[in-house]
Amino acid sequence: MKKVLVGLMAALGLALGQQQVTLFWSGAITGPTSETGAPYGAGIEDYCRHMVRSIPGVVLNCVVRDDRYDNATTQRLFEEAVDRFKIPIYLGYSTGGMLQMKALVQELKIVTMPASNHVGLIDPPNGDYFFIPVSTYSEQVVALLEYVAKQKKGAKVALVVHPSPFGRAPVEDARKAAQRLGLQIVDVQEVGGGNLDNTALLRRFEAAGVEFVVHQNVAGPVANILKDTRRLGLSGKMRHLGAVYTGGVDLISLAGEAAEGFLWASPYYTPQEDTPGIRLQKELVSRFGRPASYAENHNYTAGMLAAAIAVEAIKRAQERFKRVTNETVYQAIVGMNGPNAFRPGLAVSTKQGIEVDFTKSERTGAEGLRILEVKGGRFVPITEPFTSLLFRQVHYGQ
Amino acid sequence: MRNPWAQTGNYRTSYRQDTSIFATHRELVSLLLFLGFLLVLPQFLSRTQVFILDLILVYSVAVLGLNITTGYAGLINIGQAAFMGVGAYTAALLAPQGLPFWLVIPLGGLVAAFFGFLVGIPSLRVKHLYLAMATLAFQVVFEWAVGHMPLLKQGGAMDMPRASFFGYEAGFRNHFHFWYYASLFTLVLLALFFRNLLRTRYGRALVAVRDNDRAADAMGMDPGRTKLFAFALGAFYAGVAGVLYAYLSRAVVIEDYVFAHSVKYLAMAIVGGLGTLVGSFLGPLFLVLLDVNMESLSNLIKALGFSVAGVDVASALRPLAFGLIIVLFLMFEPRGLYNWWRLVRSYFRTWPFKY
Repeated sequence: MKKVLVGLMAALGLALGQQQVTLFWSGAITGPTSETGAPYGAGIEDYCRHMVRSIPGVVLNCVVRDDRYDNATTQRLFEEAVDRFKIPIYLGYSTGGMLQMKALVQELKIVTMPASNHVGLIDPPNGDYFFIPVSTYSEQVVALLEYVAKQKKGAKVALVVHPSPFGRAPVEDARKAAQRLGLQIVDVQEVGGGNLDNTALLRRFEAAGVEFVVHQNVAGPVANILKDTRRLGLSGKMRHLGAVYTGGVDLISLAGEAAEGFLWASPYYTPQEDTPGIRLQKELVSRFGRPASYAENHNYTAGMLAAAIAVEAIKRAQERFKRVTNETVYQAIVGMNGPNAFRPGLAVSTKQGIEVDFTKSERTGAEGLRILEVKGGRFVPITEPFTSLLFRQVHYGQ
Repeated sequence: MRNPWAQTGNYRTSYRQDTSIFATHRELVSLLLFLGFLLVLPQFLSRTQVFILDLILVYSVAVLGLNITTGYAGLINIGQAAFMGVGAYTAALLAPQGLPFWLVIPLGGLVAAFFGFLVGIPSLRVKHLYLAMATLAFQVVFEWAVGHMPLLKQGGAMDMPRASFFGYEAGFRNHFHFWYYASLFTLVLLALFFRNLLRTRYGRALVAVRDNDRAADAMGMDPGRTKLFAFALGAFYAGVAGVLYAYLSRAVVIEDYVFAHSVKYLAMAIVGGLGTLVGSFLGPLFLVLLDVNMESLSNLIKALGFSVAGVDVASALRPLAFGLIIVLFLMFEPRGLYNWWRLVRSYFRTWPFKY
């Protein structure tokens, strides 16, 4: 039945002289990390539906699938998308699933844009066709360490990371960066979901004189640590900071008042800011009947950004080459720089005024980020947008 | 003498006949026909459908192993995914050195068997839930160890090289077909071994120790050695499945060998029927196809925009169906799908008679 419908749609598209292009995403709508995956997928689907007939000569077919954070399902859905929909670009999700598919993506030469910001995805070998929409986890954590170094020289820092490749991604670069910044990383602990009592962890940090705790995790475990910090009366002794998936409205709703003072490295505009992207987010959430909380959810913003980049690449491929294939989309996305940089109004710009750009060698999109602090129950920017210069030195030796 | 082709039941008159692999000629022929069907089946399927078959075959190997340890020997094992992981990581270390896949597969199994032997040692002193805790401990230690070993990329992806066999290389287009036939061959080999196991004194010792280890001891069997043998053999099967899975998924990442997957294999063994050969195939077949069909159904529900009181029915359907199936089987058919298979087979074998 489905095949018949797809065939009919394709035939109809051809009859109207339009190419049908499938924008395909698979990720965790249910299962582990679905608190991130569900709004992320909704952001992609809604943006795609919004833009379905926006490209002359192209009709977008928006397909969103749930892989339940299961790598075998991710692989099956990807292969199905390649065979059945002839996708020119693939929007992916988890760190493990994407790392597993690197060689396959390289072989098929299909531009792949994951939700994971693991630097290993764009590093060689087999990273040429991976494009990360924002800065990497490593860059976000190094940026946080740079901020810490400005606050206090020689500060004692602890890292708390998720027990997975996602969590461990920035640890090595963080150690190198801390050394150059004169910071002391006194402890690295792995904490996953279900950390209902963090007394031992926090007392250990207290004994070691930890002043700053940098998190690379999802919001749930961080919220529990923040609540325990407050319960143990340690809020004045140590400050908590986190990379992009630690923060957002989820953290505030989970941690409540304990979230006050939390520092967050984020490339996205906040819901309170009036930008074209954020206005569109609120409109789409309302138009497509999503939960009202999605209007303030940065994971929805992240999904929209990934979809926006993909749609823009398809549009430019169509304009420049008059056909949309994996090769033309690749050429379009690596040409998205300088005067051709993309500005969807969802992420902050760098000092050079660039919001999203890519080249063949620089495959991170929105490289600008800000530090935001929870004040009065919402995240407020406390720095101007910046990029971490130190990250490039420690990771690439530039 | 009765005509063996017209035989409608088991008329065994000797011990030799009682231990035969195939009870009737029809059983042998139907198996050969079924194997012939499996050999040509991928030619009629899409690549992704063949991938689903690959998963069923690989999971079947792992569940066969679990049926030796838990089904035959009665030793609860909730660390089967970790044993698979040992095989997979062995493959990830050995295969890039240029070893052919047909050598890596048994080597992965042997390394896993060694770990199975070690994990089995507590089974000499503890039983039941306490033993389950010991295997759970191995699962946790395995995940922690991989996560902290730079040699294993701390759980990140370790790429597997492409396999080739007499110049025939597994590329993008034929990858799943290549591993279908490799997995099918391995599964048939291991299933035959499994079937033969019960015909040996080692196999009978497993069942005897499961039913009453003191009685087995009194009858001259060594319960300790038998339990270690069960763990090592079950882990060998898991290790082989791990190697196959590593090649199939093109890279090894820790997320494929975590506790949730151990629970999945245990669920497959229960749904299929613990301690049965056919159940080892039916369990993975049923749960994998259930998952795929629930996915299609949830996509359909989503397309129709159906929701109950704001609940995303489409997304909730798959995990709900999985949990419900396990509970229903435990409640109403604890002998698993094997029992249904037995009833259907019995009906056709005795037809036109009732029994």
